[in-house]
Amino acid sequence: MDRAREACAVRDAWLAHGLSAHSAERAEAEDAVRELYRLIDAPAPRFTWVDSPSAGLELVRTDPAFGPVRLHTGVLPDRAEGWSPPSRLATLQSELRDRLESSVRGPDRYGWSLRPLKPEPDWEQLRSTAPREALAAGASLDRVLWVAVRDALRGSLGDAVRAPVRSALRTDSPDPLTWWGQHDASWVGHYDACARIGHGWFAAGDLAQLGLWARLARSTGWWWAGEGRCVMAERPAAVHTEPAPGAVHGEIRLHHDDGPAVRFRDGSGVYVLHGARVPGWVVTGPTVERIHAETNVEVRRAAIERIGWDAYIEQAGLRLVGTADDPGNPGFRLRLYDVPRELWGRSARLLLTVNGSVEPDGRRRQYALGVPAFLDDPVAAAGWSYGLSGEQYGRLRRRT
Amino acid sequence: MTMNVNVTLGELTARTGLDVLDHLEREVTVPVVDGMQAQGDLIVVPLAMLGQLRVDDDGWWGVPPEGVELLRSSAGGNPHTLVADRGRCRWTTRVDDPTGLAIGALEAASVAYLIHPEHGASGIAPGRYVVRRQQERALGARPGPLRGLMFRGAGNRFVCD
Repeated sequence: MDRAREACAVRDAWLAHGLSAHSAERAEAEDAVRELYRLIDAPAPRFTWVDSPSAGLELVRTDPAFGPVRLHTGVLPDRAEGWSPPSRLATLQSELRDRLESSVRGPDRYGWSLRPLKPEPDWEQLRSTAPREALAAGASLDRVLWVAVRDALRGSLGDAVRAPVRSALRTDSPDPLTWWGQHDASWVGHYDACARIGHGWFAAGDLAQLGLWARLARSTGWWWAGEGRCVMAERPAAVHTEPAPGAVHGEIRLHHDDGPAVRFRDGSGVYVLHGARVPGWVVTGPTVERIHAETNVEVRRAAIERIGWDAYIEQAGLRLVGTADDPGNPGFRLRLYDVPRELWGRSARLLLTVNGSVEPDGRRRQYALGVPAFLDDPVAAAGWSYGLSGEQYGRLRRRT
Repeated sequence: MTMNVNVTLGELTARTGLDVLDHLEREVTVPVVDGMQAQGDLIVVPLAMLGQLRVDDDGWWGVPPEGVELLRSSAGGNPHTLVADRGRCRWTTRVDDPTGLAIGALEAASVAYLIHPEHGASGIAPGRYVVRRQQERALGARPGPLRGLMFRGAGNRFVCD
């Protein structure tokens, strides 16, 4: 148990590095990169610092020192010495990660020895079970670390933070290889935690190289390795997160409804609401016109919720079809609105309801459901959403 | 552990180890509903109300004391958990529902409870019920060959709260 707890403390420290909005520790980062260049027998590079990943990509896309990515063996020279620094660095890291992976693999993962005495909780259960309870329920430390450290860091830093920033920058052309700096904490943190609690057998050389990637994860934003030159990006100036729903392993997701969730020092940024990347206008200036021009239904819903359903319905001039008492939710009304075909590209109706339970702020959330256009009765519309007739739904006793 | 009819939310969370958000009133007795009830995007419907639906005789299993997670939102978030005294409630997912909305059926010999971190707890009176989830018509999605794969039926999809 103490080892699991220690591993989670290490995880949390790496999560903090991954989310850090302090300015980069430039000398430290440059030093670690020079060490990596030494490991691939490349001459030490010059460094150019920029304020954001987008500024970095702009530089490396036009600089021949960075070249196109050639990772397929078919297009690489036969001998590794002829490879460009990014290719050699990618090989170095990939081989390191392979070795680290087999270092932490316990024999039970192969399934040929040491089967657990009783069946372990399945992976899905482990995701929602705190390490202490999981171990008590017979889970192996190996699996607990896999879910509570590795998956948690990957989910938070890889999927929830790096991915939206990256997709905001994506272009059609293949970009030079990017190294993720602080976001490499998503994998560095797992092996570091395993090494610190003595879970696995690590070669000294591997730990030394892991230490270099760890120094980069603690000191810089994204960076690009080129022939004789590296472009290094500062960390963001602000990162706004919230706990991921139901998280028991410290998972977070991006969220900020008052500006970009990730803002870089040059003003560029990425807008994210409750983990979903949205265009900036959804946060800074949602209007009925923009909502109706939007084709992505999730973005449209997020934008309407920013304005508020009542205000949206009024501004869009939706026609009220009918209202009725909400069965099972005393004191609240169901309201059914007609949405003209030209607004959303198909005829639809919108059922506006009030939540059965109060929010933490004491208010009741209003929410809207799309329903088929043939429904005229609000109670029947609410029933349809559960596959029931209006008459059946009218017998609802309680809603929470 | 005996789940009598006068259980408070605080007692229920203490007994099951499940947790709810802090703003929910813990001292109030959890109401027990004999009939249809909804908890967010789930609805519990007495089996007798749904004629067109078939529940397989095989495939029932006992609800363990730590409960059964019926549904968790797509973002990995808040689960609806069914809990009951040991041996007093069984659950099956072998339900043939023409609407495609059923996630399972339960049979409670004594009061069972549905717990959710945001919605709190609700008692289910003894009886047989079907648990369905909620659907909505995707707002403004044009039905097409590709979209049809992503949504249920003609542009319908599940609601996740």
